[in-house]
Amino acid sequence: MQIVAIICFVGIVVISIVLVYKLDKIKEQGSSIDKLKKSLDEMDEQAKLIVRTDMELNKAQEELDKKIRGLFTLQGLSRSMMTSLEENQIFRMITPEHIHELGFEKVVAFLWNSAQKRFDIHVRTGYPEEEINDIKKYIEENKDDYLELMKKATTISSITRSKELSLENRITSVFKATFFIMSPILPKEGDGGFLFVGTDDTETPINEGDEELITILANQLAQALENARLFDKTWKAQQSLEEKVAERTSELTSALKELQLVSKRKNDFISSVSHELRTPLTSIKGYAAILLAGKLGEMPAEIRQRLEKINKHSDELAHMVNELLDIARIESGRQIMKKENLDIKEVAEKVADMLGVQAKEKNISLSVNIPNNTFVLADRQQIERVFINLVGNALKFTPEKGKVAISSQPANEAVQVDITDSGCGIPENALDAIFEEFYRVDNAVNEGVKGTGLGLSLVKHVVEAHEGKIWVKSKLGSGSTFSFTLPKAG
Amino acid sequence: MPINVALGTSENHDPVQAAVEALNQAKEKLGSQKIDLCILFTSSNLTHPNILKTIHNYLTEDVQVYGASGIAVISNEGKTLRYGLTVALLSFSENIYFNSAFVSDISAKTPSIAGEELGEKLSFGFKNIRRDFGVLLSDGYIYDASAFLNGLKRRLGLSFPIVGGCASDNLKLHKTFLYYNNAIINDSACGLVFGGKLNFGIGIKHGWKPLGKMRSITSSNANVIYEIDNQPAAKIYEEYFSMNINQLRKELKRISILYPIGIFLEGEDEYLLRNLLYIDESGALIFQGSVPEQSSIRLMIGTKESCIDAARQAAEEVKKNFLGRTINFVLVFDSVSRYTLLRREAEEEINTIKGVLGKETPIAGFYTFGEQAPLKSINYQGQSHFHNQSIAILAIGG
Repeated sequence: MQIVAIICFVGIVVISIVLVYKLDKIKEQGSSIDKLKKSLDEMDEQAKLIVRTDMELNKAQEELDKKIRGLFTLQGLSRSMMTSLEENQIFRMITPEHIHELGFEKVVAFLWNSAQKRFDIHVRTGYPEEEINDIKKYIEENKDDYLELMKKATTISSITRSKELSLENRITSVFKATFFIMSPILPKEGDGGFLFVGTDDTETPINEGDEELITILANQLAQALENARLFDKTWKAQQSLEEKVAERTSELTSALKELQLVSKRKNDFISSVSHELRTPLTSIKGYAAILLAGKLGEMPAEIRQRLEKINKHSDELAHMVNELLDIARIESGRQIMKKENLDIKEVAEKVADMLGVQAKEKNISLSVNIPNNTFVLADRQQIERVFINLVGNALKFTPEKGKVAISSQPANEAVQVDITDSGCGIPENALDAIFEEFYRVDNAVNEGVKGTGLGLSLVKHVVEAHEGKIWVKSKLGSGSTFSFTLPKAG
Repeated sequence: MPINVALGTSENHDPVQAAVEALNQAKEKLGSQKIDLCILFTSSNLTHPNILKTIHNYLTEDVQVYGASGIAVISNEGKTLRYGLTVALLSFSENIYFNSAFVSDISAKTPSIAGEELGEKLSFGFKNIRRDFGVLLSDGYIYDASAFLNGLKRRLGLSFPIVGGCASDNLKLHKTFLYYNNAIINDSACGLVFGGKLNFGIGIKHGWKPLGKMRSITSSNANVIYEIDNQPAAKIYEEYFSMNINQLRKELKRISILYPIGIFLEGEDEYLLRNLLYIDESGALIFQGSVPEQSSIRLMIGTKESCIDAARQAAEEVKKNFLGRTINFVLVFDSVSRYTLLRREAEEEINTIKGVLGKETPIAGFYTFGEQAPLKSINYQGQSHFHNQSIAILAIGG
């Protein structure tokens, strides 16, 4: 019995010890659970912080994305607008996509039309027909206010708190947009207007950054309009200039054709008249020669004197007819230049020799100063005529004891020949006309010396037929220099 | 090849011209092969009946057209088109079968009954043929999308694999559209059921991570949570964001996308996401999908990196299912939330998928207001569920 009692006692003691131990364990575990619970609560608090920070970060990111997107769109839009040179095309560049990318759904651009005294709508997106009609009506009724607003050159929006708050409220109701920005389009020249953008998206309200972006866009629009207008102006000016040039060209062409026709007729006329004249002239000259030769018997001195005059004048007339025929032939291209390598010094000396007697008579010093081996490509006979005419003229118009010099100098692919005299010179007003047919300078020498007035014209034709040029430099009382060029021999 | 797919894409803003451009590209690739099915995805701003008229005029054969509109579409080139459409012309070999059907007036019929109606119509054409999987396109504004899917499952089989997405819009019109043969429909759903000699693979992931303490739904009904841990449900958001209900409502769009509720699923890698649609005066939270009572939930947080990584995992899951066999066509149902979160990186997500499944594999898709796909763990017996914020990928091949 005692043993049983002892065992029971020991048992109770053991159980008590175990229970105490278990209780401690439970207590320990409870404290662990409390710690765990506390950790969880703390973690939850941390999670709250994470979530709030994350949301702020996301908002900042959204804002940044919106700005980048806006700038990117603005850049693309500006680039395409600047390449447009037509006013309406500039506005067509603004598409609903661009507006969406800028964070808006609605856009209206209206420009003042000073000719019609009204605002015209150029772009509209996000408005049905009836709404746009209301907007048109509203703008028309308030055009004076908008013209005033344009002068102020400031952007207004649903976030600005300006004195025109009533205006902003009206814009919100007429343009049906909770948030809006309206920026003036102000080109330096011509009519301006406004760019309106709006949105009803209350979750992403507009801010100062949007206002800045739309103001830039309106400025870009103004710049593009300026460019287009300038281009239009330049283009129109060019068009009218081109039209004028075409008109004048056509007038000149027809005048030239007429002149060519007249010239041809003149040449034909001269040619046929000259031919017709040559035959009777030959007869007159022939009969005069027979009479002078005394083959038909002696005649009184008075008749002979008259006959000699007939003979002389016939010679002059024949000379004139021949020169006219030559000019006509050269002009019409019938006279073929037999071009050869010609020693111009040799030709000049030959002519000087030929006209030496004439020079001596007037005691004129006639000199040739052309380097050896100066070859030109020319028709010998025709060039001789040129020299005879020019040197002959020089001798004719140079007073006694004067000087006539023939010289040459290279001129690019040509040789320039100068015939200088110390004669009376040519009046300035006659310089241009001197090479014209039948033109004779009005001076004392010409009054006393006969001439056809065809010599220099013939010379000009001959030189030009050689693709050369002829000109004269002269001063009244100080002599003249006739210069002409001929192509250098190859 | 048992399935031939030719794709065409257009970014033209004119619906008719866009359709013609895309059809020209697709038809050129397909040549003279017969066309059995035309899948069409358009951006919501391009939705127009003339697109369907153009398709039917262009394709002389009597081709079935099946599609949806979304805030953006996914093109074969790996682009996300906010203005555009993508067309897929499919040609099947004789031993591949499919049946299509649609149900309208879902709100009036209730989602659950409408789901059953669609299930019945879809199984009707498959009396003696084994059904392999279904593709579901539904209106993005169905009140309880989970109830609709459950109705459908009751008729097609609880473990019958269903993949799909809900049409979406820019959240302004509050109207989404589906394409079914000659009609543009809303408050509707349309389905395709496939069977025969073809393979398929499904992958679904979201990438959102749990944050904070696990909580329990103590009172809920369908898609509404009344109480969490015996307190008004809104308190969870009030506490986490340090905002009152009115402030929370102002931030609802952001919260819905970035911080959804995740339902813990035993055996699954990821939580099942539910995004918040509305907070009512009493503090009840209204979600797009069902939120069963006694579910363990947590607040979720997502990042761009985890999103893109989830897309890669979903694509790898699809590839694993195919066991090296050729994939002929890939359909992507990608959540609008991901599109909003990823923004400029949205195309990176698509290109990640293309990188896994092969650059040359034809791909088409659109952004959705909810996705349908099966859960794979044994606990859920492969049953299809309604998901939020996820990317569902379906690959088919011969």
